[in-house]
Amino acid sequence: MQNREIVVDNLVKRYGDFTAVNGVSFRVESGEVYGFLGPNGAGKSTTVSMLTTLSLPTSGHATVGGYDVRSHAYDVRRVAGVALQEIGLDPLMKSLELLSLQGRVFGMNYKDSMRRAHELLELVNLTEFTARPVGKYSGGMRRRLDLALALVHQPDVLFLDEPTTGLDPASRRDIWKEVARLNSELGITIFLTTQYLEEADQLANRIAIINQGVIAVEGKPAELKANMGGDAINLAFEDVSLVDKAISEVQDMVTRTQIDRDTLRLYLPNAAAAVPAVVTRLQAAHIQPISLTLTQPTLDDVFLQVTGQRFATEEKEEKVA
Amino acid sequence: MTATVIRPTQSTARSAKASHKMPFLVQVWMMSRRSLVTMFRDPAAIIPGLILGVFFLVIYEASLGGAAQFFLRGQSYLGFILPLSVISTALSGAGIAGQAVIRDIDSGYFDKLLLTPISRAALLLAPMIAAALVLVMQSSAVVLVGILLGLEPATGWLGVLTLLGYALLIGVALAGLIVGIALRTNSASATSGASFLFFPLTFLTATFTPKELLTGWLKVAAQWNPITYILEACRSLLNIGWEPQVLFTGLWVSLGVCVVTFAFASLSLRARTQRR
Repeated sequence: MQNREIVVDNLVKRYGDFTAVNGVSFRVESGEVYGFLGPNGAGKSTTVSMLTTLSLPTSGHATVGGYDVRSHAYDVRRVAGVALQEIGLDPLMKSLELLSLQGRVFGMNYKDSMRRAHELLELVNLTEFTARPVGKYSGGMRRRLDLALALVHQPDVLFLDEPTTGLDPASRRDIWKEVARLNSELGITIFLTTQYLEEADQLANRIAIINQGVIAVEGKPAELKANMGGDAINLAFEDVSLVDKAISEVQDMVTRTQIDRDTLRLYLPNAAAAVPAVVTRLQAAHIQPISLTLTQPTLDDVFLQVTGQRFATEEKEEKVA
Repeated sequence: MTATVIRPTQSTARSAKASHKMPFLVQVWMMSRRSLVTMFRDPAAIIPGLILGVFFLVIYEASLGGAAQFFLRGQSYLGFILPLSVISTALSGAGIAGQAVIRDIDSGYFDKLLLTPISRAALLLAPMIAAALVLVMQSSAVVLVGILLGLEPATGWLGVLTLLGYALLIGVALAGLIVGIALRTNSASATSGASFLFFPLTFLTATFTPKELLTGWLKVAAQWNPITYILEACRSLLNIGWEPQVLFTGLWVSLGVCVVTFAFASLSLRARTQRR
């Protein structure tokens, strides 16, 4: 089994006085999908560019597939596939030319490079558009072709820097499906940076939240959320007066309650399992909720806890301030 | 994208992993061909250089041809001035190389290539060689116009081919300089600005008269300007005949300039990696 790990030890990148990445350490196991989550300017892309040999670390060490990014840059480039946040396609070239040249650059002969190019075009659903220069592609098509280019040489480790930024929801789900497939079928280690909590949650085995150049927290999404405290059952009632009645019925089962107009939120350790018991109690007291939903803590809550700011609403807050 | 599973065939998979490194010259050839093909897809960049070269030739011939008779002693002024047109064209050809690099940086494709195991030298040589080949085509057109105007090369067709060989070297040399500047500045305007800054170089030399007739600071400048020796070699080809010493001096000088500007481009690329 090949080494497909990424090992990062105290990586630092400084630009003059500004420290973009400030002592980041983590380890991605072979075959893992690792999500690197953070707002704009957190240091995600800088980390990717160091790990993929595009830029040199100021200090610290990193290996990709067992190769040091500084001393064995050539080997890192050989085993890593990279799709950067900024799509890298020559608008004057055509898809087959780009894919075939990419294959040749990685050492394939012409015939193999063309076969691989056709395979990948089919994979990313661009077979019909081979006659069109890439400059005339839509954003989603370009993103898909860029991903195909990163896959030409069947990389051991795939770096995807914000692969779905600027895509419509349908294309975004396609990319997710594809990433999951590459990981599960080919065992490719995937390092994924994203601004979208949902994306990290869906795809990553483990995530790190990076903020201002530092990893604030790392772990499995489910664990991180579990650490936030219990889930919640939300009960909505037709009549506000029922809320108080309901509280008195279930008071002893829950750790905390919260009332928001006609909605009662019950916090308890294992909310899903407790639903039948809660419903039985309420029925016994002839209290009928009009809806019952379960909510779990989100990564947004995790982010809020570790950084002190809301992830998604950060921009809005800035505007208000 | 579909959920359809397309498994890479066994043979493709193996060849992808097994064959590691392409021979250096194959890499250079592949990348140069790609540069050349894309340059021709954007012909707007090629045509001005061509027009410029022919324009210089016709204008210089018309305005200075008569006055030059006293030092030419019966030699053709066309043959004397044509190499200058070629070098002027080379400057715009070098500009094409710079623009090609800027275009790749802007589109992000340059980074895409840097992420592959391709030799960095091949990556730099490709636009230089492609631009030099464009220059050879442009120079051929200039020579053709010269012949239509009555030029009779002293060394015949073989001499014309040699002249085009010099044009290739000049093109590579100047392109190296411009590519280096493109990599350092990341700016299209700075890069085209730089190609204009080198224009004076074509005048700080034996531009309109032989080196022997120059005096003072201009003579010193011309002696230090590598273009002088390349001009002399080309003029000798067109007007005098095979003069080994002049030709070899021109060859060594142009090869030397190629090495220096390629080194400059390489250092610029390294500096760029360190900076980002």
